[in-house]
Amino acid sequence: MHPGRQLGVLGLVFVVLYLLVFFAGGAKGSFTDRLEPKLGLDLVGGTQATYIASQQGEPPTPEAMETAREIIESRVNALGVSEAEVVIQGNNTIVVSLAGEADDQLKDLSQAANMRFRLLTGTTMDVSSAALNPASPSPSVAASGSAAPSAAPSAAASGAAPAATSNPSASTGGQGGGEAAPAASATPSAPAPSATPSAAASAPAGAPAAQTVDQKELLASAKKKVGAAAWAAAEKLTAPVDLSADAKAGLPFKGFAQLTGPEVAVLTPDMQFNVPTISCGQLDARPNGSIDDVNSKVVACYQGGAKVMLDKAEVVGDDISEASPQLDQTQNQWVVSLDFTSTGQAKWTELTRTAFNATTTDPCYVAVQALYGTADHCAVAVVLDKTILSAPQIQAVLSGQSQITGDFTAASAKELADQLNFGAIPVTFEAGPAQTVSATLGLQQLEAGLLAAAIGMGLVAIYAFFYYRLLGTVIFLSLGLSALLTYGALVFLGRTMGYTLTLAGIAGFIVSLGVAADSFVIYFERLKDEIHEGRTPRSAVPRAWHRARRTIISANTITILCAVVLYIVSIGAVQGFAFALGLSTVLDLVVVFLFRHPIMTMLASTKAFLSPRVSGLGRVLRNRTDVKEA
Amino acid sequence: MASSGLAARLYTGEANINIVGRRKIWFATAIAIVIISFGSILIRGFELGIEFAGGTEFIVPATANSQTLTQEEAGDKVAAAVHAVAPDAEVLAAQQVGTGGESFFRVRASALTTTEIEEAKTALVADLGVNADQVSDNQVSAAWGGAVTEKAVLGLVVFLVLVCAYLIIRFEWRMAVAALASLMLDLILTAGVYSLVGFEVTPSTVIGFLTILGYSLYDVVVVFDKVQENTRGITAGTSRTYAEATNLAVNQTLMRSLNTGLVALLPVGGLLFIGAGLFGAGTLKDLGLVLFVGMGFGVISSIVFAAPVLSALKDREPKIKAHNARVLARRASRSDDVAPRAERTRSANATESDEVPAFAGGTTPRPGARPVAKRNTTNRGGGAGNRPGKRR
Repeated sequence: MHPGRQLGVLGLVFVVLYLLVFFAGGAKGSFTDRLEPKLGLDLVGGTQATYIASQQGEPPTPEAMETAREIIESRVNALGVSEAEVVIQGNNTIVVSLAGEADDQLKDLSQAANMRFRLLTGTTMDVSSAALNPASPSPSVAASGSAAPSAAPSAAASGAAPAATSNPSASTGGQGGGEAAPAASATPSAPAPSATPSAAASAPAGAPAAQTVDQKELLASAKKKVGAAAWAAAEKLTAPVDLSADAKAGLPFKGFAQLTGPEVAVLTPDMQFNVPTISCGQLDARPNGSIDDVNSKVVACYQGGAKVMLDKAEVVGDDISEASPQLDQTQNQWVVSLDFTSTGQAKWTELTRTAFNATTTDPCYVAVQALYGTADHCAVAVVLDKTILSAPQIQAVLSGQSQITGDFTAASAKELADQLNFGAIPVTFEAGPAQTVSATLGLQQLEAGLLAAAIGMGLVAIYAFFYYRLLGTVIFLSLGLSALLTYGALVFLGRTMGYTLTLAGIAGFIVSLGVAADSFVIYFERLKDEIHEGRTPRSAVPRAWHRARRTIISANTITILCAVVLYIVSIGAVQGFAFALGLSTVLDLVVVFLFRHPIMTMLASTKAFLSPRVSGLGRVLRNRTDVKEA
Repeated sequence: MASSGLAARLYTGEANINIVGRRKIWFATAIAIVIISFGSILIRGFELGIEFAGGTEFIVPATANSQTLTQEEAGDKVAAAVHAVAPDAEVLAAQQVGTGGESFFRVRASALTTTEIEEAKTALVADLGVNADQVSDNQVSAAWGGAVTEKAVLGLVVFLVLVCAYLIIRFEWRMAVAALASLMLDLILTAGVYSLVGFEVTPSTVIGFLTILGYSLYDVVVVFDKVQENTRGITAGTSRTYAEATNLAVNQTLMRSLNTGLVALLPVGGLLFIGAGLFGAGTLKDLGLVLFVGMGFGVISSIVFAAPVLSALKDREPKIKAHNARVLARRASRSDDVAPRAERTRSANATESDEVPAFAGGTTPRPGARPVAKRNTTNRGGGAGNRPGKRR
């Protein structure tokens, strides 16, 4: 490649990078604003949120607290490569500090992570209160494309099933999932009466016997809002009220639409399920942990469009030993593989046996048919807190490693696997207010870091000039160039990936200065050897380059390998550091190949380079003149 | 003459310092310091920072007695109060939480006993002139979770396996073993120094420690690259034993190693100077220190440990063993009475210099070299004791 062309490529890289810095990835504000990298908590401060953790109303044990801390920490780290600080304060508080502004992400961190596996036994559609308005004409047809029964209320159309896990299925590893059934229609047809759990009456009343004072109060206020007549009617319901048959059937239960989340939570599961006016919005507003009881049936929402009745939790999060996303080679699709603990495995096998062996008239089978439009087997819902993560149909009696298949992408498979892994912690959190926090170290330290960088760079430059003379200029220019490229990359990545620069990161970049300068030393020492062996500088340059290149690539490969491994495997601060290390090494290689090599090629053909005094190859060249004289 | 001569010869890679030949010395030294390091780590352990060990947190109102405290003042006051009762305690910088009148400062310190906390609080309350209930304390956990350490260690193991595979592909298994041995030595020595001196281990220290990984191997790879080049087709001739060829490579890259060491340590030195000099503590100092120690060991071990380990391993390889024996036999068959010609024979034909005993006054020729008139005057008598592979 021609030196001019390589410099051209470098110029292009440079221009593109800085165009990205100024105009891409949500760049806004003034000229200088666009050049601001995202700084970390230690330098500019950020946001702090507190979470009060509890285990069934009690402060958690220290061990559970540490697990909770680590889960919150991994959730924080999952938000990006910003380095957050998560500490336990006192005996039940977790304090999270993040760089930058407060955002909604912090709220999600406190989501309780109680996981339950429950057989799906009934389904009915979610009705918004709009459908109750008797003045409205008969409901319109559901969203186009869905093979919904014609009488579906318009509200149901909002619950279009996301593609991610529509109609997932579970099977043993290696078998692959069953044929993907057509995507579930968003509007389940009303289940036949037999779909409701016939055992409802014999099932224990939903509300736990030991009611707290709070629950009694909530129950009383709920009754007051609803009215005695409606309450009595609701208690008598044995199946969900079918609004598709009679649009006005929901009217008596109008009061239920006014209930708050906590009030809905104290109703029996049957009431929550059967009363048509209780919407998914209300169910989702129930407090964290309100459907954690393993011994009672619960009601949850599935993909926003349907209320489903779920059986007792036969298997819980603790029973999972590990979940991981995998690419199934035979089917070429992403699956989530599940491993259970030894006790968990037995329970899981039993649960899948129930689901797999169910006949077509069993409530669970009918429910799946209603939900997905077709059914092979019963489904087991994976419930995390109040959310159904997935409701795979069980394809076999699963006695070994299991797989959940569905239309997963790499990202959605990883997400589900992560959530399953989170499932092993039975602690609930109450989120406190988010507050701004000042920097721990402050900009003074940042200035010190930059000063250290300047000193380091100055020292390297002085040494390079002393030792390599003219070639020192090449080193100096290259380092400057590396610094500019790195800075641009930092600004851009800070905006797009949320990479925050901490003081440790800055120090990492300073250290990489020395490593970058080192690839020069390798090269120049090679050059010396070549000249030593009697070549002219002009012919020595390409030879030395050729031989040094191999060494430089080998050595840098190791650094990059180190960075990549640490980035993939590690979490938190180590991950951020690995990112900095990898970034600076890659950019160093870019500069070596696109700047130094062509510059040296050009220099080699100048007169000055041939003069020993200027090029810093003095002694070697002089040795050669000695030889000539001798 | 000697010093400038040595500098000049260093510069041109002809210092001919016998490094590989003194294998036994290096190995004995290495074993001794590894034992000392392990002993110290087992007996003394490490001085863990607040981020690892947890500690005590003081909450101080930002507005005390209708005067607003600055972040620095708050930190200093807490530090003064804590140090009065526990002189050795570490106190981190203050952090302001919230804004306006409701804001307060969090200041973290090392774990203190209940009495120490009470005394410190009393002193603080008196100092700030506030009510006793306005200053509170909390136990805080480690901010650096066990999971982070666990994953970092896992990363380390994965990296070692991969790098080993890479080195085997790129070089050969013996080189991979030697490189990893040298890396382990660096890590153990660095940890040992930390344990012995009692430097505090903070997250920055751990991060710096991981940086040493790549750096130390980087150095070794450069040396081995040269070794590989020098020993290619070595068994075809009978001029040099493997150890001598390795030693030559080490000498040729010596200047580069020293240069690299200097160039890499200069910025780190800057960090250390700024961090420790201006702030007395903190991230910059922690990182600077661990890198300075680790990289320093990295440079030294790549020169005096990695290459000797390699030659020791190679001398056990049957092919090389036979070759070494041939070289020595050939030398022995020559008349040893003749003083070694201390002439730098730089000939394209390397076998011409076969009279040169091992390591005798730096007269090992280089492939593709040309004759040089300059005489080498520093004749370190290459005693038989320096000959590798002789007395085993």
